[in-house]
Amino acid sequence: MAQQKVEIDITNAGEYQVLTPNGDLDVYTVGSLRDAIGTMIDQETARVVVDLDQVPFMDSSGLGALMGGVRRLREAGGDLAIACTREQHLKLFAITGFGEGVSIAPTVEEAAKDFRH
Amino acid sequence: MRLSLRWKIVGGFGLLLALIAVLGWVTLSLFGSLRSVQRKVFDEAIPALVAVDEIVLGYTAQSAAVRGALVSSNQTHLATYGREVEQTDFWEEQASGLFELAEEQAIFDRLVEAGHDFQDLVDTEVIPRATSGKRTQAFSILSSQGDVLIGQVEVQGELLQRSQQDRVMQSEAEAQSRTRSAILILLLVVIGALALGTFLAWVLPRRLAVNISKLVEVTRAIGRGDFDQDVQIRSGDEVEELATRFGEMQAGLKRLQQLALQDRELEIAASIQQNLLQRTLPATPGVRILPLQRQANLVGGDWYDVEVADDKLTLVIGDASGKGIGAALMSTVALSFLRAERALGSDMRRIVERTNEALLDATDPGSFTTLIYTTLDLNNGEARWLNMGHPAPFLLRANRGNSGVPRGAYVEGPRNRALGWFQEPGYAEAVTILEPGDCLLFFTDGWLEGKATNGEVFGEQRFAEAVMRLAPVGASEIGERLVEEVEQFAAGKLDDDLTMLVIEYLGTAIPGGSVQVQTGEQEWHSRR
Repeated sequence: MAQQKVEIDITNAGEYQVLTPNGDLDVYTVGSLRDAIGTMIDQETARVVVDLDQVPFMDSSGLGALMGGVRRLREAGGDLAIACTREQHLKLFAITGFGEGVSIAPTVEEAAKDFRH
Repeated sequence: MRLSLRWKIVGGFGLLLALIAVLGWVTLSLFGSLRSVQRKVFDEAIPALVAVDEIVLGYTAQSAAVRGALVSSNQTHLATYGREVEQTDFWEEQASGLFELAEEQAIFDRLVEAGHDFQDLVDTEVIPRATSGKRTQAFSILSSQGDVLIGQVEVQGELLQRSQQDRVMQSEAEAQSRTRSAILILLLVVIGALALGTFLAWVLPRRLAVNISKLVEVTRAIGRGDFDQDVQIRSGDEVEELATRFGEMQAGLKRLQQLALQDRELEIAASIQQNLLQRTLPATPGVRILPLQRQANLVGGDWYDVEVADDKLTLVIGDASGKGIGAALMSTVALSFLRAERALGSDMRRIVERTNEALLDATDPGSFTTLIYTTLDLNNGEARWLNMGHPAPFLLRANRGNSGVPRGAYVEGPRNRALGWFQEPGYAEAVTILEPGDCLLFFTDGWLEGKATNGEVFGEQRFAEAVMRLAPVGASEIGERLVEEVEQFAAGKLDDDLTMLVIEYLGTAIPGGSVQVQTGEQEWHSRR
């Protein structure tokens, strides 16, 4: 099982950083997102919005990385919000209950307005 | 400096050729030196010796010829005298320039001077007196003055010859000495060349042999499975290159060994998981349970559990996030806690609660488990379940109603959150009454996430349509047929596990709690 990478764009939006993965978030590529969130924590970036608009497919590994990111950022005194309009991902958030307690909105700006921590 | 073996061999031969050339040069130099000595002896000393001898003899012969002429008055003697003078002149000319030493030249000059004085005496004093009849006077002059001059010639000649002989002897001694030196030097050069050649022939291949022996040792150790060999060789040639490749090969083998060990561990994990999952299903009167599991890897995160106690059937289907060993371990944790808590007689909610607590403690923040914990009352077909973040089950009704078209739907019910993530995931129950012949399909997300080459996922809609379309094949086959559908959609490339529990409710309870058994196949056939 070869480890693959997904390109992740990082944009500084002032009070928060935006991570935009470009590609599938699955068991093979999820390490990139985990590393990017780790870098945010290392750089003491408190708040991060992950924009899933360029992610056509996400499985439980990708969801797990987002969930782990929420927990790690909150432990570091920050938070993670999600910008997503893709039906499939929203369905996954709903099924697993991940959407509860996390800011999920159609746009980055809206998601950033509703940081919970 | 990097030097290939080829150039080392060429260099070795070059060195050998250079040694031979030096040997030749030394030999030629020594013979040249001997030749110079020989030239001095044969080109100078011996000719000078001969010439001096001839000159002295010439003057003696001149004296004898003149004396003969005075005694016999014969003209022949005078002619002889003339020839001897010419001969002597010739030899004097030959001898001139052959004397290197000034001392020898002075002696020669004195000899010639005495000789010429003799000739003057003969020409001016002796012969005129003889021809004028004064033979006695002439004879007297020749005997008194001429013999003195001839005596001087002989003395000087003797001196010169002695000197020349000394030189020849010296030269011979010098030649012998030089010959001895030449032989000695040649001997030393030959011994030196041999020693150097032997040294190089010993040292260079020895180093090569030592390096190759080292590689042989390394190969043996690698053959024994020891992949921590030091294969550093700094010879700058192909052997160093070979050693570098050996190092890479060793690292590769080590990685392969580690992978093999990992595979072995994976096999052990798989065996443990199989033992946990695929235990023999309990006898279930009134219901058919058809499990199906298609794992993408050796171990996976999907699992199920079935138990019958009294008239209650417990069914659990679970899916740990991620894949591989991590997911397998998490599924083992969930399954173990579920069973342990159930063995204590806890109710459904308590069992799931305890499992959540265990997963919260045992797993990392990025991991979670979804499951549906179901109990089915075999007496009345009442199914109750807790859906913890899992895809909703699909209910295929046996009763097609008036239209005769299969009826089916996802049973959404209340949803709770996945386990291992929240302290309070929620424990709202869903309830459904199964009629005889109804099939309830529990499945994991791998079915919905089957991905086509264009990136499109199989999804709930296609899954539902496929179930409805395949409903007539019956409960025992529907799972396998669905696998075919998903595999075809994903062009044979399924990354996730596919797990499904098809529950076919066969019977209705009769008073007293026993179950009237019917077979599902007959049910489906009768309805076609």
